[in-house]
Amino acid sequence: MKKSIDAKKGKGPKAKLSNDQLLTLYRNLVRADHFDKCYVRRIQAGQLISFYHAGEGGLAPGVGACSFLRKEDILWPHHRAHAQGHMLSKGIDLKYYLAEHTGKTTGCCKGRSSYHWSFPEYGVFGTSGCIGAGFSPTVGWGLACKKNGDGQITMMCCGDGGSNRGTAHESFLMANNWKLPIVYLIENNGLAIFSKHEDMHPTKDIADLAKGYGMPAVIVDGQDVIAVAEATLKAVEHARAGKGPYLIEAKTVRIQAHGVGLPDLVDYTPRSKEEIDELRERDAILICRERLLTEGLLSQELIDQIEAEATQEVADAERFADESPVADQLDLSDINKLVYAE
Amino acid sequence: MREITLIEAIREAYIEEMQVDEKVFLVGQDIRGGNFPNTTGLVEMFGDDRVLDTPISETAMVGSAFGAAQMGYRPVVDFMSGGFAYVAACEVLLQSAQHYFQHGGNVSVPLVITAGVGAGLKLANEHSVTPHAMFLHHPGIKVAFPSTPYDAKGLMKSAIRDNNPVCMFWHLALMMEKGQVPEEEYLVPLGVADVKREGTDVTVVATGLQVKHALEVAANLESEVSVEVVDLRSMEPLDYEAISRSLEKTNRLVVVDEDTERCGFAAELIAQVVDKSFDLLDAPIERICIDNMPIPGGYLEAHVLPNPAKIETAIRRVIA
Repeated sequence: MKKSIDAKKGKGPKAKLSNDQLLTLYRNLVRADHFDKCYVRRIQAGQLISFYHAGEGGLAPGVGACSFLRKEDILWPHHRAHAQGHMLSKGIDLKYYLAEHTGKTTGCCKGRSSYHWSFPEYGVFGTSGCIGAGFSPTVGWGLACKKNGDGQITMMCCGDGGSNRGTAHESFLMANNWKLPIVYLIENNGLAIFSKHEDMHPTKDIADLAKGYGMPAVIVDGQDVIAVAEATLKAVEHARAGKGPYLIEAKTVRIQAHGVGLPDLVDYTPRSKEEIDELRERDAILICRERLLTEGLLSQELIDQIEAEATQEVADAERFADESPVADQLDLSDINKLVYAE
Repeated sequence: MREITLIEAIREAYIEEMQVDEKVFLVGQDIRGGNFPNTTGLVEMFGDDRVLDTPISETAMVGSAFGAAQMGYRPVVDFMSGGFAYVAACEVLLQSAQHYFQHGGNVSVPLVITAGVGAGLKLANEHSVTPHAMFLHHPGIKVAFPSTPYDAKGLMKSAIRDNNPVCMFWHLALMMEKGQVPEEEYLVPLGVADVKREGTDVTVVATGLQVKHALEVAANLESEVSVEVVDLRSMEPLDYEAISRSLEKTNRLVVVDEDTERCGFAAELIAQVVDKSFDLLDAPIERICIDNMPIPGGYLEAHVLPNPAKIETAIRRVIA
């Protein structure tokens, strides 16, 4: 699955992950999975507002890419699974996001946005309802990282659908013109809402685009969280060293429909159970668990402990969100105070 | 006092703010060479990491400012022509302008959007449009539109220091207009109108080039009508008090807005006056805007634009 696009710049020795790092990846993957399942359950039960785009099958790219970023690095995470894997991997406490998603005053956006996230102290400034919107401010974050001059980088994550936007072209162009410290992670699950990647993009690999900008790129198996993390460490090192942007395409899958409640179609035909079962065989948690068991890093006892901790973390977040007051009061006596900064 | 052009006044604002705050930078297309003279020579003074040329990539150009502003920089984005802002409307109006509220007031976005705008050079719609109403329609961004070199410099300095997105358009027909600008530093605050000419019979509210037109008419009519000209200088924040103060004297209102009449700023302002100051009015309000059609290029454009003759007719109607 792994192939190098720019043989000269894209290839090299694999970054070596420590045992601790390998366990962190597994733990974050399990946590992301628990939060994803929690959101699916809650939105079906009417306990989550707005919409939810389930992440099942596609959680490994975000976890692999974000587990070893620095706190001060800037991150625009992918909307799939509402970026929970990306954000928890970066160290963000997801209870404030769940509170936002349940319309509470304790939410990260004070209950103003339902599904937007905002954790500026972790370099996650926010999001947009327009897919591919992150490509534009990424240029500014990359520029500011470069101006700050202390090795800070920007990680920009997006799906195959978002990468079709013109904003992607403009972002790649300027990031490479200015040699900005940006890592682009394209999480290609082969599907937009219903549309197949091959109907929307003329080549199999989005990473092919990188060549046109003189940008190094690599394709990794997005179901292998370790492979994603290794590729990311290399790309991040490249960016931190001032060598400019880097593109990673992680080939992943989407097991659920685009949004909870939408029909699960490819083009206009329902996906078959066999098709889904086949995708489930490439479950990122199973692949990672098997590898760590083989390497003797995991035991059944540790597996159970990690599960129990993730269950507890989600339960704590739910309790925090549920016990927080609903944000249904808006003081309109001075609107400008709300809309404009002082 | 010395006199300089409006475009030179803006250039001075850039220089002064870049000298005192190293977080200020300029980004635009071909601004190092100075497509308009407001950026001429600045790259030699401040270097090309503070005067940045971009490809014709408006979304990333605004993005470079939006992202950097969130990280404490104070970028000025020069769109060259106001019509080009439409290309990055989402980045400016839904993202930069509304980020602050939408994300819980956690991060401010101090950036400036600027461009030359306005008709009169026979350049057709994309180069002649004044898109301030589109900006005003999206709460979260401030909008200024000066009529003099003094105001242009002072407003631009305030815009750069403001912690919000501020859009400051300047009118192409005023670019080389000269006016008094002191050597010493000053600011013109956003949201403070300026009575450019005092009068007692009728109030003309205007911005940009239309202030000049209104003053011309007021001077011509001096022996017949006493016209007060209120230059709003900024439309958001709006100095409504200045308008109501003037109406208390004149009780008659003409609004001149160089924008399409339909759903324009004049319509909004008149609605506010009817709402808040109806009892002050002795006559129906008149508005002079661009006719509801695309701005033609060539000699045809003169037909659809506000001009002194149309303003005079409106004044005569409200005092009749």
